[in-house]
Amino acid sequence: MQNTSRSNRVEIWRSFWVATWLGWQIESNWTQPFLFAIYSIIKPLAGAAILVVMYSVITQGNFNTPIFPYLYYGNAFYQYVAAILTGVSWAVIDDREHYKTLKYMYIAPINIPLYWLGRGVARFLTGSISVLITIAFGVAFLHVPLNLATVNWPLFIVALFIGVSMLAMMGLILASITLLIAHHFFLIGEAVAGALFLLSGAIFPLEVLPAWIRPVGFAVPITYWLELMRRSLIGNVAQAFPTLSRFGNLQLLGILIGLTIVFAIASLFVFRFCDHHAREQSLIDRVTNY
Amino acid sequence: MVKEQTILSNLAVETESLGRIYKIHGNTKEKNVRKELVALQDVDLHVRQGELFGLLGPNGAGKTTLIKILTTLLAPTSGRARVSGFDVAKEASRVRPLINMVSGGESSGYGLLTVRENLWMFSQFYGLPSKQSYERIDALLKMVGLEDRIHTKSSDLSTGLRQKMNIVRGFLTDPQVLFLDEPTLGLDVGASRDVRNLIRSWLDQDKTRTLLLTTHYMVEADELCDRVAIINHGRVLAFDTPAALKQSLQREALFEIRVSSMNGLNTSALEHLPGVRKAARSEVDGVTALDFSLQEEAALAGVINRLTESNVKIMRLDKHEPTLEDVFVNLVGRSMDEIEKEESDDEQSESTSRDVD
Amino acid sequence: MTNKANPLAVMSTEKATGWKLFWKTVLARAYPRVVGQQREKSWIFFDIFLPMLAVSAYVFVYRAIHAPEEYIGFVVVGGAMTAFWMNIMWSMSMQLYWEKEQGNLALYIMAPNSMMAILLGMALGGMLATFLRAIAIILLGSLLFHVQYAIGNFLQLIGVFFAAMTALYGLGMITASLFLLLSREADHLVQLAQEPVYLISGFYFPIRSFNFWIAAAASIIPLTLGLDAMRQLVFPSGALLGFLSVNVELSVLLILCIVFLFGARALLGYMERLAIREGRLTESRR
Repeated sequence: MQNTSRSNRVEIWRSFWVATWLGWQIESNWTQPFLFAIYSIIKPLAGAAILVVMYSVITQGNFNTPIFPYLYYGNAFYQYVAAILTGVSWAVIDDREHYKTLKYMYIAPINIPLYWLGRGVARFLTGSISVLITIAFGVAFLHVPLNLATVNWPLFIVALFIGVSMLAMMGLILASITLLIAHHFFLIGEAVAGALFLLSGAIFPLEVLPAWIRPVGFAVPITYWLELMRRSLIGNVAQAFPTLSRFGNLQLLGILIGLTIVFAIASLFVFRFCDHHAREQSLIDRVTNY
Repeated sequence: MVKEQTILSNLAVETESLGRIYKIHGNTKEKNVRKELVALQDVDLHVRQGELFGLLGPNGAGKTTLIKILTTLLAPTSGRARVSGFDVAKEASRVRPLINMVSGGESSGYGLLTVRENLWMFSQFYGLPSKQSYERIDALLKMVGLEDRIHTKSSDLSTGLRQKMNIVRGFLTDPQVLFLDEPTLGLDVGASRDVRNLIRSWLDQDKTRTLLLTTHYMVEADELCDRVAIINHGRVLAFDTPAALKQSLQREALFEIRVSSMNGLNTSALEHLPGVRKAARSEVDGVTALDFSLQEEAALAGVINRLTESNVKIMRLDKHEPTLEDVFVNLVGRSMDEIEKEESDDEQSESTSRDVD
Repeated sequence: MTNKANPLAVMSTEKATGWKLFWKTVLARAYPRVVGQQREKSWIFFDIFLPMLAVSAYVFVYRAIHAPEEYIGFVVVGGAMTAFWMNIMWSMSMQLYWEKEQGNLALYIMAPNSMMAILLGMALGGMLATFLRAIAIILLGSLLFHVQYAIGNFLQLIGVFFAAMTALYGLGMITASLFLLLSREADHLVQLAQEPVYLISGFYFPIRSFNFWIAAAASIIPLTLGLDAMRQLVFPSGALLGFLSVNVELSVLLILCIVFLFGARALLGYMERLAIREGRLTESRR
C-alpha cells in the first residue's frame, strides 16, 4: 500500500517535472536572445498600447482618471489568461499534430493532466515577463499609479497563486476538449481568453455590460481574481468601482478559491469524458491539419 | 558530338561529379561549433530510359540526399544532375512535370480527407483531368488492394495502408521518371510483393519510363533492379547489374563460418591471415557468423587453424554464392548491419559525452 | 482517353498547363479547407462566436470611457477585418510552415504547379470561415450595438474592399515566402504580428490618431488604408476622422496590389531557390 502510494507520488512528480522541462525546451530556445527580448517587449506593449491609444483618443490623453489604471492593470494581468490557457491546451495540438508524440505520452506511465499542466508552465513564465514589462512601462511612462511601499504583498502573492491555479484548471478543461476537435488554425486558448475579456471585468467594470449578461461575469472567477490583483496593488483606486465593493478581500479570496475548486472538479470530469471519447474514436494519434 | 547528344538523350538520369555538403548547426551547447557533413561526393551516375535502377546503401549513405537533388528539392553544392535531359538546378520547372516521388513512411496528405480525395487533390497539381484522375485512382487502388478503403479518411489508415496510398500517388500522375525512396518501409511481406509487381508492370507498359529505387534491402534490389549502384558515405562504390557485381566476387571464394563465441578473437586478426581479403562479423539467430572473402579456397585452412588455436568452436561451415550483401561487404569492409550498429553506437557515445560535458 | 481497365498504360490525355493548371491547383488546395471545415464544425464556435465576444470587449471599453457612438462602429468594422488578417497569417503563412513539417510542401514544390496557386488555394479555402466570421461580427455587432451606417458610394466601397483584399493577400504571399526559410520561430513571429498590426493599422481607432508619418508608414499594411477608407464610406462622420481622402487611399491600395502581387511572385521564386540551396524545404527542425 505504501509502495503504491509512493509510486503514485513519483509518477505525479515525474509527469509534471518532465513536462515542465519539455515545455521550457520548446518555448525558450526558438531564437537568439536579442530577438527573444524584442518579442517579449513588443508583443505585450502593443496589446496594451491598443487600449492606451483608444483611451487617449477619447479622453485627450487624460490619464488621471480612475478608469485608466483599472483597465491598464486589468489588461496587464489578463495576459496570464491567454498565456496559461494557450500554454496548456496548445500542448495537445502540438503533440498530436506536429510532434506526433501524444500517443507515446499516453502509453507512458505518466499522469496526462499533470503533463499538460507542466507543459503550460513555460508559457506562464514567459507570460510573467510580459506582465512585468507591461506594468513597468505603464508606471514609468504613463503614470500608472504604483507605490511599492503600499502594495499588499501577502494578498498579491496569495491571489496570484490561486489565480494561476484557477487558470490552469480552465486550461485543463480546454485541453481535454481539444482532444476531440480538429486542428483548425485558431489557438483555442487565445480564442477563449479573447471571449472572457468581455466577461471578466478586465478592462471595464461589469456595470458597463447590459444587465442580462452581467451574471455571467459574476460567475467567471477571473473577475474576482483581477479585482484582487488591483486591490493588492492600488487598493484605493480599485475601490472607486462599485462592482465588487461590497466584498472584502477575504470574501473575494473565498469566492475565488471556491470557484477554483469548482473548476478543478469540472476539469477532472471533463478530462475523463473527453479522454474516454478520444480513445473510443481513435483520436489520440490522428492528424487533422489542413 | 551528335552521338554524344544521342547518348545523353537516352539517359533518364545523369549526374556528373555531384556533391552536397550540409552545414550542421549544433544544439545550444554546441552553438559555436559549425560542422559540415559531406552527404554526397563526386557521384557519377547514368540511368538509362526504361531502367529500374537501384541505389543501395546503409542508413545515412546519401541515398535520400541524391533523390532530393534529382527531384529538385535540394540544390547540389558541386557538380550537376539532369533528369530527362533537363538540369535539376537550372531547369527545375521543366523537370517537375516529368517526375514524381514516393518516400517510405511519409505522412503527406490531409487526415480529414478520404483516400480518394487526397489522391485526387495531388493529381490536380499535375494537371490531370478530374474524370481520368478518378478512373486511375479507382483502378490503382484496386491494384494495391486498397479499393475497400477508398472512402476512408487517411487519418484512419494504418501505416502500411497509408504507404500504399502514397505509392498510388506516385503512379497516378504517369511520370516519366519515378523516384521511390524506400517505398516498402512499413509494408508487410504480401504488400511489398504487390508493390514490386506493380513496379515491374508499370515499367513493362512503356519502355520510356524509368524508375529509381532506393533501398537498404539487398534482396529487394537484387530481385527488382536492372542495375544497382552501391553507395556509402556519399560515394558510389560500384555500379552495374546485380549479376555482374556478384560475378566480380566469384573470382574469390566466399565462406560463412558460424561459431559459438569469438573467445576474444577479432575480425581484424582474421583479415591479416594470408589469402583472406575480407572478414566481417554479424549475429545470426543468436550465433556469431563470420563471412570470409578469400583469394582462393586453400586459404580456408589457415582460417580454421587460427580459429582452432583460439579455442573457437566451429558450429557450421558453408560455401556460398555471392549476394549483393557480399558485394557490399567486399567494397566497404563491413556488412550493412555492422555499419548501422557502429553509427548508432557512435551517436550514443557522442550524446553521452555531450551530457558529461 | 485513359485506358480505364489498365491504369498503368500511358495516359494519352493532355495534362493541363499554364493558367488552367494554376486554377486546378487553386481549387484542389482549397478543397481540403472547405471539406475539413464541413467535417468538423468546432471552428464555428471557436472561430466565429468567441471572436465576436472579444471584439465586443473593445466596444464596451469605449462605452466605459463615454466615447462617441461612431467609435463603436469603428470597432465593429475593425473587429470584422481582423478575420482577414488572421486568415493570411495563420491560414497561409503559418500553414505553409506546417505543410513543411508534414511533408506536403516538398510534394507541392516538386509538382509542376505554382506556389502562388497553392497559397491562393489555402486562402480561398479558408474564406468561408473568414467571411462568416467577418459578417457575423458586422451583423451581430451592428444589431447589438445599434451601429448606424450611411453608405455613400456602394461601388466605391466594394472597390476599396477588393483592392484591400487583393493587396492584403499579396502581402500574405510575401510573408508566406519568408516562412519557407523559418524554423520554430515561425509560430512566435505569427503571434508577434497580431497586436502590433492591430495597433498600427488602427483596427479599433482611427489611424488619424497617430501622427502623419506613423500613419503613412502603417499604410504599407493594406488593411490600414482599407479600413480607413471603408469607415469613411460607411459612417456619417467617417470622413472627418479619415486619414487621407478615399480616392487617394484607393489609389495607394491599387499600387500596393501591383507591388505585392509582383513582389510575391518574385519573392516566392527567390525564397524557393534559397530554401532548395540551403536544404530547408524538407527539414523538420521543430
